[in-house]
Amino acid sequence: MTTAGVGRPVGRAPGCPTPARPPRPAGPGRAGLRLARLHAASRRVLTCVLVLAACAVALRTALHWLPRSGVYARQIPLTIEAGAAAVIGVTTRSPFGEPERATGRWLPWLRLAASVALTGIAVGALAAGASAAHLDGGAAGLARDLAGLTGIALLTAAVAGGALAWIGPMAYLAVTLSALTEKWTTPWTWPARPPHDRGAAICAALVFAAGVAVITVRGARDRSRE
Amino acid sequence: MTAAPAPAAAPRAWRVPRPAGPARLLRIELRRSPVLWMLPLLAALFWLSAYRTAMNNPPFWNIRAATLQANAMLAFAPLLAGVCAWAGSRDGRRGLVDLVGVTAVPRWAAQLAAWAAATIWAEALYLAGVAVVYGVTAHQGAWGGPLWWPVAVGVAMIAASCALGFAAGLLLASRFTAPLAALVVFLALAGGAFAIQDNVKYAQIWPLSVQGPFPTDSYGIFYPYLPDLAIAQVMFLAGLAAAALGAIGLPAAAGGRWLRGAAAAVTVAGLAAAGTAVGLAGTARVEAHGIVIPALHDAASDRPVPYTPVCSRSVVPVCLQPAYRAYLPEVTAALGPLLAQVAGLPGAPVRVTQVAVTSVQAARSNGIGFGGPVIGGRPPVLYLPLSGLTLPGEGNASAAQFTSNLRQQYGLSIVDELVGLPSGAGPSTGANGISIALGPGHAAQFAIAGALEQDLNLVTQVPTGVRLPPGARGGSAGSGASAPGNQGLAAGKRFAALPEAARHAWLATHLAALRADRITLSEIP
Repeated sequence: MTTAGVGRPVGRAPGCPTPARPPRPAGPGRAGLRLARLHAASRRVLTCVLVLAACAVALRTALHWLPRSGVYARQIPLTIEAGAAAVIGVTTRSPFGEPERATGRWLPWLRLAASVALTGIAVGALAAGASAAHLDGGAAGLARDLAGLTGIALLTAAVAGGALAWIGPMAYLAVTLSALTEKWTTPWTWPARPPHDRGAAICAALVFAAGVAVITVRGARDRSRE
Repeated sequence: MTAAPAPAAAPRAWRVPRPAGPARLLRIELRRSPVLWMLPLLAALFWLSAYRTAMNNPPFWNIRAATLQANAMLAFAPLLAGVCAWAGSRDGRRGLVDLVGVTAVPRWAAQLAAWAAATIWAEALYLAGVAVVYGVTAHQGAWGGPLWWPVAVGVAMIAASCALGFAAGLLLASRFTAPLAALVVFLALAGGAFAIQDNVKYAQIWPLSVQGPFPTDSYGIFYPYLPDLAIAQVMFLAGLAAAALGAIGLPAAAGGRWLRGAAAAVTVAGLAAAGTAVGLAGTARVEAHGIVIPALHDAASDRPVPYTPVCSRSVVPVCLQPAYRAYLPEVTAALGPLLAQVAGLPGAPVRVTQVAVTSVQAARSNGIGFGGPVIGGRPPVLYLPLSGLTLPGEGNASAAQFTSNLRQQYGLSIVDELVGLPSGAGPSTGANGISIALGPGHAAQFAIAGALEQDLNLVTQVPTGVRLPPGARGGSAGSGASAPGNQGLAAGKRFAALPEAARHAWLATHLAALRADRITLSEIP
């Protein structure tokens, strides 16, 4: 036994390469950004944005062919809006399930930010798609209908799971098509009401607020096995 | 005591469990199909979109059948496509593709079992809905029998939606596949309806079109329901389903060479059937009793359905097809006053008989124009088509509205027909968009017709597209009576001011001459 190694840091043998330095703890800003990026990646937010862009292109193409008024001028844009809302709802699905819920302190805020941001992006994309053509109901009607449909998608995600969140807006769309042709007057079928109908706007806003609140607090009802 | 060795137990054969048979596989898939959980929602949508709509209309088999084909599919097809996409992407989502790929059962067979389970649940619900709607219709005493071809189109549409969604989910296992499949089917249905509305040649193949532009109550009563278009639609949808199901058997993992060869054959056959059906739909033409596709048409469908009419006991009997038995009081009330006023005149109808659509004319925006009532035969009979009119109980229409509409629309035509005005000149037929140019010789006929209409409180406004001759009843509409128009107006007012008996006596003497256009305005008393 010699004393040759005395004085050297433990674990380093002569001739061994210097080990990598442990990563410095990131600042709160960088950590937050990284957390948001990872959350977005786990929810396939980028794919969702691409699908929303495709919906905007589809809306622009449809408006080129559609009449300026009538049932079809409402039905087809509404179908595209329901598709956009369904995609936003599906984005709430978490692949991690319970472990993420148990450890994710910032999860409610991330869910709130993601759902509100995606709704804003959807409204902006579809409004941009409709900007060069005549959209029956205008941008105000589009924002109202899309917000309400997104609220339904978020509520469905909380009840049935994120992956099945699309069922809510699609089923509501089927109901709305009947409401459009039969001229229902209840504000709960807001897409069948004129764009400046206050009751319809309130109902759509309430549903959106409820959806965002529920998805923020509880998140989507998901299991980690899928 | 010896310890004799115990006889050695015969070695048991090590039995290899047989792979699950198709029936067992189907049973397992039936238990785990996601469509099972969707049934309450689908039932609610069926009630909302199909049952409610059907019951808001009179109990006619044709109206109820059309609702089961078009309305139910609008609610069912997109959601089923989405759920089946969800079912198809199950193995991919759970990361089980490699695991189940090495099982004894060929993947194609297992996938077909999953599709079949989803389709069986959806078809069961749809057929249960059909049974309820048809059962209620039969209970309400509808004349005739249920139409099964629209139901067959619905069944084929469900199978095709499930197959397309399932194939999409299988080929692209993503969380976005299900909503996009539902969205695409919704857009395809809406786009197809828009194409039908735009009179696109091949658009009739779309399953939302029951009999093209025909109103739902205008076929299948006097003549059998023409299944030509429905056959083409079933062929198209079955072809799409076969192509989608065949396509999922094409990848190498789906099975052996023979199995994949069979899948390729199914795909090609499906595409060929769908393409042929689209081509057949392009040859469809609108005829008096429905859509006819020459290659699929059965001449036996052109024979009228026998029936015993139901008649009123009024001065001039009104006889209707028994399917319209409930409307006999309304039709009699609508036409009775007019018929009583002209009863006994030469050429006036001695009976009113409801007939099928006499002539049709395709119009823009998937529209159709029907011929109006016609007086003919010896003794004269008024042949009255009721198809295309809004019947009491249809939507929000009341019996009073029906009576009023019938009076206003057909009363004018009957008066025009009686005084000998050419077909299409009257306001009711002119409203169909037929433009008739009339010469000055019909001035007396217009004046008398105007007077009778005024006396009977019929609408006398001049529709767009009808040019009136000088001296005609333009004045009676109260708009732009020119100098010659004033002559006609004055003659009409003179005649209307006469006592009813005097009018009747003059018409009894001069109606034949009036019809032959041998009466001038000055000869009108």
